[in-house]
Amino acid sequence: MSSDVFFLAEFDGGQAARSALELAAGAAGLAYGSGAREGASALGPAGAGRAVVLGDEAAPAITFAASAAAAVKEATPSVVLAPATPNGRDLAAALVGLLELPAFGPVRAVRIEGSAVRTEQATLQGTVITVSQPSDGAPRPAVVLVLANTFTPVEGGTGKAEVVDAPATDPGAFGQAKVAESHPAEAAVTNLEEATIIVAGGRGVGSEAGFGPLQDLAAALGGAVGASRAAADAGWVPYQLQIGQTGKVVKPALYLSAGISGAIQHRVGMQSAEHVVAINKDPDAPIGEFADLFVVGDLFAIVPKLTDEIKRRKGK
Amino acid sequence: MTHRLTPEHDELRAVVRELADERIAPRAAEIDTSAEFPWDLKELLAKQDLLGTSFEERYGGTALDAVGQAIVIEELARADATTSLIPIVQKLGALPIVLAGSDEQKDRYLPRLASGEWLIAFGLTEAAAGSDVASNRMRARREVDCYVLNGSKRFITHGSVAKVVTIFALTDPAAGGRKGMSAFIVETDTPGFAAPRLEHKMGIRGSPTAELTLDDVRVPIDSLLGSEGDGFKLAMDSLDRSRVSIAAQAVGIAQGAIDAAVSYAADRRQFGERVVDFQGIQFMLADMASQTEAARQLTYAAAAQVDGRASDLPYWTSSAKLVAGDTAMRVTTDAVQVLGGYGYITDYPVERMMRDAKITQLYEGTQQIQRLIIARQLLQRSGAAESG
Amino acid sequence: MKIVVCVKQVPATTAEKRYTADFRLDRTAAESVINPLDEYAIEQALRLQESGAVDTVAYLSMGPEQAGEALRRGLAMGGDEAYLVTDDALAGADEWATARVLAAALDKLAPEVALMGMASDDARGSLVPGAVAAMRGLPLLSYGSELSLHDGTARIRRLTATGFDLIEAPLPVVASVTDQVGEPRYASLKGIMAARRKPLETWGLSDLGLSADALHGAAVTRVVEARAPEAKPPTERIENVSADEAAVKVADWLAARKLI
Repeated sequence: MSSDVFFLAEFDGGQAARSALELAAGAAGLAYGSGAREGASALGPAGAGRAVVLGDEAAPAITFAASAAAAVKEATPSVVLAPATPNGRDLAAALVGLLELPAFGPVRAVRIEGSAVRTEQATLQGTVITVSQPSDGAPRPAVVLVLANTFTPVEGGTGKAEVVDAPATDPGAFGQAKVAESHPAEAAVTNLEEATIIVAGGRGVGSEAGFGPLQDLAAALGGAVGASRAAADAGWVPYQLQIGQTGKVVKPALYLSAGISGAIQHRVGMQSAEHVVAINKDPDAPIGEFADLFVVGDLFAIVPKLTDEIKRRKGK
Repeated sequence: MTHRLTPEHDELRAVVRELADERIAPRAAEIDTSAEFPWDLKELLAKQDLLGTSFEERYGGTALDAVGQAIVIEELARADATTSLIPIVQKLGALPIVLAGSDEQKDRYLPRLASGEWLIAFGLTEAAAGSDVASNRMRARREVDCYVLNGSKRFITHGSVAKVVTIFALTDPAAGGRKGMSAFIVETDTPGFAAPRLEHKMGIRGSPTAELTLDDVRVPIDSLLGSEGDGFKLAMDSLDRSRVSIAAQAVGIAQGAIDAAVSYAADRRQFGERVVDFQGIQFMLADMASQTEAARQLTYAAAAQVDGRASDLPYWTSSAKLVAGDTAMRVTTDAVQVLGGYGYITDYPVERMMRDAKITQLYEGTQQIQRLIIARQLLQRSGAAESG
Repeated sequence: MKIVVCVKQVPATTAEKRYTADFRLDRTAAESVINPLDEYAIEQALRLQESGAVDTVAYLSMGPEQAGEALRRGLAMGGDEAYLVTDDALAGADEWATARVLAAALDKLAPEVALMGMASDDARGSLVPGAVAAMRGLPLLSYGSELSLHDGTARIRRLTATGFDLIEAPLPVVASVTDQVGEPRYASLKGIMAARRKPLETWGLSDLGLSADALHGAAVTRVVEARAPEAKPPTERIENVSADEAAVKVADWLAARKLI
C-alpha cells in the first residue's frame, strides 16, 4: 500500500473546479468531467504530481465511479480526498460502496502522516468536535470529504503533473444515469461553497429589492451573496444561494449576515466560517451569541454606509 | 373513572404541538392585530382532522376520548386562543344535533361539520338574556309547513362565518323560557338571516363575535331538534358537555404564558444576573406552574367524567372551568408582571394572552354561574337542595 | 410499483445532544425525530402514490428499537408498511455498515425505487445513497428536486449552479431528493390512528444473511475523541451608535483582520 494521497478533480469545459485546485497539493488527481484530459495538466502547478484521467465526457459524475474504483485499487493510496460537493459526495459514496472503505467527513481538518489518517469534524450541529480515524485493520484507502476553503490552492506553482489515462472500465449500472435535458439558467449563479467572503440576507431584508444593498456590499468586499432559508423560500433570491441545513454548507473567511436571526438550521450551514459579523435590529437575536461581531441596528441604514466606508478605504 | 394519560395521548400532544408551534403561533399576533378570522388555519385544522375530534367515526370524525379532545384544545390554545376556539365552537354548535337530532338531521349535517367543510355556531345568547337564558325572547311561530323565526341574538361566536347555526327560540312564549323554548337548525343563507355586526373585543380578537338578526326566517318543520319545549334542557346539556373545552383552553393559555415568561426571564439580565435567578421571580413562576398543573389535572379528571357519563357531571365540568379560568387570568397577569415593561407592549405575546384569558371567565357561563352550579350539586349531594 | 423510503431517526435539531463515554452518539439522551431531510423523501413518495404512479410506499430504517417511532410517524404521514432492522451488533454503525445493511434489506424488499433524503441531520454524511447504489449495482439519481416515473424509467430534476438538468435511468434505481421537493405534510389525526394498525416488521442481521463479522464489527471508522468546540472569545457588540459610527467600527474590525 502506497502512502499516495489521491483527490477527485472535477472538470467542466476543460477548466478544473476550484475544489480540485484546493485538494491538489502533494497528491495525485483523479480527473473527470468535460475537457478533463486537456485540462488535467493544470493540476501540476496546483501541486499534483500525477493526474489520472477517468473520462472526459460531460456526464453525471457518478458515471466515472467504476473507473475511479479501478484506479484506486490499482494504486492503493492511503487516502482519497473528495470535495464535499454533491458530485464529490456521490463519487466518494460509490468508492465506499464498491471497495468497502472507511469514510470521513465533511472534515474541517485532516492530518495525513505517512499512511495514518486522522480527521476532525464538527458534528451534532457544531456542538461536538470529533476526531476519527480508520479502525485497525480497516480496508484502505480512507475516503475523506473536504469542505471548500479547508485548504488553500497553491498560487504560482511550477510543478508538472504526469497525465495518464485510467484503465478502461465498464461504468456498470452507474453509467445508466444519463442527462436527458440540460437547462442552463440565463445568468450563472456563484458557487457559494467556493466563496471566501459571503454577505448573507435573511427575513429582515424583506424583499428582493432589499438585497440590492447587500449585493453592493458584497461587490465592495469582493464576495458573494447568500441567503437564509426564509429569504430563499420567499423567492427573494434563487434557491442556489440558500445556506443552511437544507442548502449549502459554506466555509468562508468572512461571513457577514444582515437580517438573519440565527436559528440553528441556518447555523449548521455557516458555523465553520472563520469570522462572523451579524447585523440585526433585534438585540436578542440568537445569532448575536455565536457571531464574532454583533451589530445591533437597522441593516438598511448600516449596510450602505459600510459599503461606502469600505470603498473609501479600498480607494486609498 | 380516571384520566390516566396513555402513550397515545402523549403522541397526540406532540403532533398538535408541532403543528401549533410551526404554523399557528407565528400567526397569533397578526390575527390579534388584524382581528380577522384565520381561514387558513381553519383549513389547516380541518385537513389535519382536528375539527372532527368530537364526532363519531361514522360521520367522518375521529371520536377522540374527552381527555384527548382536551389535549388538542390545550395545545392549540397554548399557541393561540382564537384558533383554539374553532374546534371548541364546532363541537358546541353541533352538540344539540348530536344529543337530540334525528338520523336524517345527523346524516345531513354532522359529516360536513366533522370535516370542517361547514362551520357551525351556537345561537343561544341574546342582548337581554346572557346568564339568564330563560328570558330569551326570539320567537318561532309554527305555520302549516314551516316555522317562522323572529328576533335577534348577540355575542354569537362564529355567527358571521358559520354555514349553519343551532338557534334557540320560544315556540310557546306563554310557557316561559324553561318550558317553552325549542331548538332549531338554521342554515345561514336562509332569507331573512343576517349577521349585521361584529363586536370589538378585548381579546380573542380574531374570533368573530356576531349579532344575528332573524327577520321572518322560514325554516322547514324538520329543522326542529327533538320536540317543542326541549330547547332549554338541550342548551344546558350542550353547555355541560362543552364546558371542559373552555377549561382546556384556559389551561393552554396559561401554559403559553408560563413558557413565554420563563423563556424571557432566562434571557433577560438585570443587576448583573438573569431575572430568572431572582427568588422573587422563581416564587412567581412556581406558583404559576403549580396552579396551572392543578387546573390541568382537574380538567382531565372532568373530561374523564364526561366519557364516564357521571351523574354529577356539572359538578366536575363547572369546577374545572371555574378553576382553570381563574388560573388563566392570574397566570397571564403574572406573566406580564414577570416581563415588566416588555410585558405591556405588543412586541411580546403575554399582553395578548392576558387579554385572551379574560373570556374564559365569562363565556359558556360566567364564573358566577359556575359557582351556582357547583353549589347546587353540593346541596343535592347533601340532600339540602330545594325541591323544584 | 413499490417505493421504499429509507428513514433515519435522529436527535431533534434543537435538543441537547451528547456522545457516550465510548464515543457513540447517545441516542437515548435526546428527543428523537425523523431526520428532517428524510421527510422530503417521504413527501415525494406519497405524492407519487397519490398520483397513481406508485402502488406501495414502504419505510425502512436501521437503528435501535425506538427507531420504530420514526417509522410510525412516517406511516402516520401516509404509506403502507414499515421495516426496522435492529440488532445489538449494529450499535455505533458507521456509513459503510449502514449502507451494507440497508442494501441487504433493499435487496430483500426489491422495490423499483429506493428513495432517501440527501443527508442525515446528525452526522451530515450523505454517502449512504451512493454507497447503497454501488453495493446493489443500481443506477444512482441523486440530489433530485423532483422525482417522476414513467415507462420503466425514473427521472430527477437536479438543480445545478447554472440552472437544472433532467437526469434519468431505467428502473430499478436508488434515488435521493432535496428539500426542494416541497413542504412535507403533517401527520393528520386519522393518519396517526391508521398508522397504529399498519404492519411494522422487525428484522435482525441474520434475517438479512449478514453477520457482525461481515460488517467489520459495524464500523470501519473509529471516533477517538469527542470534545466541545474551542471556546470562542465573547461576541463583541456594537450598539447604541449611529449608522455612520457603526459602519466605521465594522470597517476597522474587518481591517484589523485583513479582510479588507
